[in-house]
Amino acid sequence: MNCRRITRLLSPWQDGELDPDLGREVERHLRGCAACSGRWAALGELRQRLLRVPPPADDPFLPARVMARLQARPVRGGRLLRAAAWAAVFAAVFAGGFLLQTAIAPGAATAPAASYSSVLLEPQEFGLLSVHDDFLDLFNGGGREAR
Amino acid sequence: MTMDDAARSDDDIVGSVLEGRTRDYEILIRRYSQRIVLFISRMTGDSDDARSIAQDVFLKIYESLPHYRRENNFSAFIFKVARNMTLNFLKRRQRTVLFSRLLGRDLDRAPFRQDPPRLSELEQGEREGELTRQLRLLSEEQRLALVLKVYLEFSYRQIREVTGWSVPKIETLISRAKSRLKKSLRLQESGGEAVMQAREQ
Repeated sequence: MNCRRITRLLSPWQDGELDPDLGREVERHLRGCAACSGRWAALGELRQRLLRVPPPADDPFLPARVMARLQARPVRGGRLLRAAAWAAVFAAVFAGGFLLQTAIAPGAATAPAASYSSVLLEPQEFGLLSVHDDFLDLFNGGGREAR
Repeated sequence: MTMDDAARSDDDIVGSVLEGRTRDYEILIRRYSQRIVLFISRMTGDSDDARSIAQDVFLKIYESLPHYRRENNFSAFIFKVARNMTLNFLKRRQRTVLFSRLLGRDLDRAPFRQDPPRLSELEQGEREGELTRQLRLLSEEQRLALVLKVYLEFSYRQIREVTGWSVPKIETLISRAKSRLKKSLRLQESGGEAVMQAREQ
């Protein structure tokens, strides 16, 4: 392998990412090439200098700060649970109201509801149907007394 | 963190948090906070910003936990979020600096920098300060790849999981970043005898 090719392999070799066979070839080349071995040494020095930069100081309160802020921000999945809980509360209130009404006026709750047609067939003394009857009587020359 | 907590897998803890044991999330924060702050500080060049962004990263991850798939690597997931939020921060900072320059107020001559050097930086050796500055001058992609490799000791495959880049692209980015740093720091490429010494290190 020539120097150009070896130079390209130096960085992945340093990173431990090179195929072992290629690595052996690089090693063999470096033993006999001053220019490439100089490049390799410079890479080693760079790595050492990068690692000498001190890491940022540890922040021991970071976990506590995050946890404190999370108290007001539940996981999104919790929204569904909250909605279900509210639905259950509303259902309970509605059922409670219905049972209370049944307990106070048992007949009202158990009496069969009048159908729409039965209401229409009953004689009406109020509302639109009554007006309708009065109007027909007047048209036929009669009145309520005549009936 | 107890011995039992240390032995628990990330996925086990995530499952526990999703089942309602919110306090368990603190185990994950303690497990990753140092590395996340290190990653962000190397990307931004500022440890105070890093701590602030790291806090937001952990809040964001908590919100995203229901979307995390257990078959995925949690470490890659957490660093992906950290990477996105850091890059967003850098873009915002860059915009602020450019805008201030448009208004005629040069906040700082150093690129992407708003605030004066902090005491911690001043305390660093001159060479380390220069290296930090040179690191900031790399392109975001080069810096990201190099930081994950050198400081987090990620393999190229792990970097691929975080960035979505191909392995050849990662290899090229890291190689170019190193070449650029070598050149800007004027590292001598001399001395064949140093080879075996470097190999031993």
